Amino acid sequence: MIDEQRLQRDMLQAHEQNDLAALPPLYLAAAQLRESQDDIDAACFFYTHAYVYALDCGDREIADIARSRLKSHGRDK
Amino acid sequence: MTVLDQEMIANVLRPIEVANGLPNAFYTDPDVHEAEKRVLFASTWACAGFAKDVPNKGDANPVSFLGQPLLVVHGEDGMVRVFQNVCRHRGMILVEEKTTLRSTIRCPYHSWCYNFDGSLRTTPHVGGPGKNLHDCIKREELGLIEVRSHIFMDTIFVNLDGKAPAFEVHAAKLLEQWQEFADRPLYHGGPESSFTLEVDCNWKLAVENYCESYHLPWIHPGLNSYSRLEDHYHIMQPGNYSGQGTVVYNPKLDDSGRAFADFDGLSDKWDTGAEYVSFYPNVLFGVHRDHVFAIMLDPQDNGKTIERIEIYYTSPDMCGDDMVDLREKNAAMWKGVFEEDIFVVEGMQRGRSASLYDGGKFSPVMDPPTHQFHEWVATRFAGK
Repeated sequence: MIDEQRLQRDMLQAHEQNDLAALPPLYLAAAQLRESQDDIDAACFFYTHAYVYALDCGDREIADIARSRLKSHGRDK
Repeated sequence: MTVLDQEMIANVLRPIEVANGLPNAFYTDPDVHEAEKRVLFASTWACAGFAKDVPNKGDANPVSFLGQPLLVVHGEDGMVRVFQNVCRHRGMILVEEKTTLRSTIRCPYHSWCYNFDGSLRTTPHVGGPGKNLHDCIKREELGLIEVRSHIFMDTIFVNLDGKAPAFEVHAAKLLEQWQEFADRPLYHGGPESSFTLEVDCNWKLAVENYCESYHLPWIHPGLNSYSRLEDHYHIMQPGNYSGQGTVVYNPKLDDSGRAFADFDGLSDKWDTGAEYVSFYPNVLFGVHRDHVFAIMLDPQDNGKTIERIEIYYTSPDMCGDDMVDLREKNAAMWKGVFEEDIFVVEGMQRGRSASLYDGGKFSPVMDPPTHQFHEWVATRFAGK
């Protein structure tokens, strides 16, 4: 079970510490949580951030996962 | 806006025996300097930096050239490209400091992301939260604005207006003259082979001083011992470059006889030959059998120029730790020579405030390379 409040806290902390490498997995987890709740808009918001930060840090695996989900929802290409 | 005296410009274009040099405004007037950015730089191939600054894939180097923000990027495909350093969305500067990018160029404002080849990769939330697509945002039309560029002897040339002939056409004569050097790999000597000089003069005075040998015995008396005035010859290619060559190049950096290795397979000419060329507008090259250098003249305004000097050697072996002392000596030798020139170019700059100065009188024998450069400037301003 994902603790959403903890996820939010970790995200804020990573941003505050400018720990870019920590951001893609956190945003990916948030996106997957929202997707599991059928909140597709929120999920794609988080997938977008997971994608962008993964590109920024060279995390190809998460970039591919996030982009793939965005594509499947018609939100990116 | 300054109105240039067309009669004085026409006077520059007369035969050297009766010509005068460029009028003072070309050195002292900020309006003329602004016009030069278009007439002498943007419309041709000018040096904006060096490829050595982006040696690896993902390396990105922001440069400000003539006030324009440019971004040099070493792509995944090995190509070095030059872009305007602005996001196509809101014109935000993309990269502020030299860095190595991981896999994208991300705008720090709204995070539009570009590939290293400039293509637009994603546009976060552009159609609303979590919607990265919109019919009006055609990614294929919104790549970074690429500036035409070409690398020659590690020097990055850019054609800002995109309308100049291909670099190979533009530089055909120099490529022919230096065909023995042009296609060789060059190896930068490292930190001790890189230095800058800030000079309080118009950039053109640095060009002019570099391309003539007339001043050598007076300004560089140390060169007299092995390189006398009569050992030099003019290099002239109208509209393109001018300079000087020597026939007695004989480097002695180390009493023990250690020396840099020569380039393989050079013709006999280069055993004792060396050539120094001002390639218009803003690159000063020097080639020798054992090293080459390039000087980028980076005009800051009409009266201030940054000279950026980079020295290259013939093989990786010349760039190792065991040769560092020799590289330091070579760099110190050249720095000393270039520093000897500072008081004359700064003196000529101050001299250009003499309101009755008429541009000066050329020696028909010693000043043809300088006059040729003035002709190039005057011709472009005369619209010929």
